[in-house]
Amino acid sequence: MLGFLTARQAGLDDPLRLRRAESTRRVLSLKLNPDRDVDRIHGNGINSLDIEAVEGRYMLSGGADGVIVIYDLENFSGKPQYTCKTVCTVGRSSRHVHKFSVETVQWYPYDTGMFVSSSFDKTMKVWDTETLKPADVFEFEGNVYSHHLSPIARKHSLIAVGTKNPKIQLCDLKSGSRIHVLQGHRAEVLSVRWSPRYEHILATASADSKVKVWDVRRASGSLLTLDQHNGEKSKASSEAVNTAHNGRVNGLCFTGDGLYLLTTGTDDRMRLWNSATGENTLVNYGKVCNESRKRLQFTVSHGCSPEFVFVPCGSSVAVYALHTGELVTMLRGHYNNVDCCEFHPDYQELYSGGKDCNILAWVPVLRASDVEEESNNAIKVGKKVWKRHKEQLCNQITLNNRLIDR
Amino acid sequence: MNRKRALISDTFKVKKTRNGTEKFGAVSNGDGLTDVKSTVEYLMTLFPRKLFNDTLPQIVFKHQLYSIHSDKTLVDKELNKLCERGELLMFQLGFDAEAFGLIFASDYKAKVLAGEEGRETQATVKKFLEKVLSSCTDLSFSKDKMLREFLFTDSEITQLVKSGVLTVRDAGSWWLSIPNSGKFTKYFIQGRKAVLGMVKKSKYSEVLKAELEERRTTSHVKFHMKYHIHDIVGAELVESIPTTSGTLLRFVDS
Repeated sequence: MLGFLTARQAGLDDPLRLRRAESTRRVLSLKLNPDRDVDRIHGNGINSLDIEAVEGRYMLSGGADGVIVIYDLENFSGKPQYTCKTVCTVGRSSRHVHKFSVETVQWYPYDTGMFVSSSFDKTMKVWDTETLKPADVFEFEGNVYSHHLSPIARKHSLIAVGTKNPKIQLCDLKSGSRIHVLQGHRAEVLSVRWSPRYEHILATASADSKVKVWDVRRASGSLLTLDQHNGEKSKASSEAVNTAHNGRVNGLCFTGDGLYLLTTGTDDRMRLWNSATGENTLVNYGKVCNESRKRLQFTVSHGCSPEFVFVPCGSSVAVYALHTGELVTMLRGHYNNVDCCEFHPDYQELYSGGKDCNILAWVPVLRASDVEEESNNAIKVGKKVWKRHKEQLCNQITLNNRLIDR
Repeated sequence: MNRKRALISDTFKVKKTRNGTEKFGAVSNGDGLTDVKSTVEYLMTLFPRKLFNDTLPQIVFKHQLYSIHSDKTLVDKELNKLCERGELLMFQLGFDAEAFGLIFASDYKAKVLAGEEGRETQATVKKFLEKVLSSCTDLSFSKDKMLREFLFTDSEITQLVKSGVLTVRDAGSWWLSIPNSGKFTKYFIQGRKAVLGMVKKSKYSEVLKAELEERRTTSHVKFHMKYHIHDIVGAELVESIPTTSGTLLRFVDS
């Protein structure tokens, strides 16, 4: 660690190297911290979590009871023991609350003044955070499984919506229109995701085992349908169809740079695809238990040197190395199935929510002080102070880098 | 109780290791097998040749290798390399979409030709082995591929199916297969079920690997116990947990 610091000071290493090394170390040491807690508001399972992209301070959660809660994740109390407080909620007493379970929530990518939620009551509501009233309501014919707003879009403000209907609807935030429809799937669409690299590329996953990649400007259909056998018809059980999984595909996630796409399916497999060519990179993650009939929200780390995937697996969260497929660790702590998890890129923390109505925060473990022999007390105290100072220095570097990025 | 230490990769080792780290109790199978080909050869020795009167070549499953090597992607890549070089053949065995059987190409050719001695389909099979196997590493063949690329006629294809080298997949396509492998599949599935049953019926559905190997097997289990153990560990039907008394196999409820 000191080696990295000195190298950066002397200019031998790029500043990014120290940051990446420290981020990776922190992700490898994620653990449940007794000091960090999230307010327990939901009375039922939590289906979706989202941390806003601007400051990384506020988190939205959507529950199976239709309740939406906003938490403040920053700790300004000065004490290590901190419970993430609820800022406001759209509870069951609100006039505009969703009637059935909220499946997906997402902040407006550019500020926290607005957020969008979609639910099994066949509506998608665009909320004003200040007044907690819906500014717009879109109604659909079937249950809405998933929606997504592009995090980098400048030229459009479309929300892609996946419902029970095989057609994917694109709703325009600016005009309120919903005439743009993408046809191609044959069964319900369980997950939709915009690419974080190109604002017009959309990936969709459906219960008919297919994953399609679309360019929304193109009128004539999808660009690619991902094929798990990479065109080798030898291993497929039927020649006609390109399937991404041997079961329903219920989770989609792009990596931070948008170059790779991860998909999970009910055949207990997770696959990594090259998002430009649609080729299956054939990384073998082994059995990734997946029994979800709805969308599974999983996430990829950001800013680390081997990137990590955090996938909910039953009642724990499995952490895999992205490109080698090895299982790094299983994060156990939930009492029931985990449905969603979200990574905080600045602090390398993981928040996961599940059917046990808890949101758990997995925090990197601070460096433990070395075992020292019994020696002069003064020296011991001096060493402890130095250790704490070094820890603060690391935190400061991470914060500084975050500020430089913005 | 924190059962597991947090993993920190080498660069970030905080505590200097004072003594050499010794892995308690764990006895690795086939010690020192660092490369995939020698692991395949080791697993081949576990295959019971006498059971089939030497008519079948030695078959090993791809997922059995996962129980020995921890990096699955690396194993897959190495196997693909061996297949492309023409040393190894991969087969889709039909009872599980993910279970791929591996046979050494030389073994396969020898056994198939030996089995074809004196039969009228011998010439076609020979032609098939020479033309197709040496050039193409696919698991299955479609009708136009057979007709156009390899210039086989319909009657020749029927002969190949009759001899057991090709198995019908759906209208107009065939899997590459092993003749007389029906018995193998039957015994294998029976044995797998019996071994899994033994693990499941144990107290707490878990049993030490060493103990399982010592147990008396019923008449259902015709293969070597180790062969079945590699299979169930690799297919993730049981969880393999290192303990102070050796490896523990725990049944996975799915």
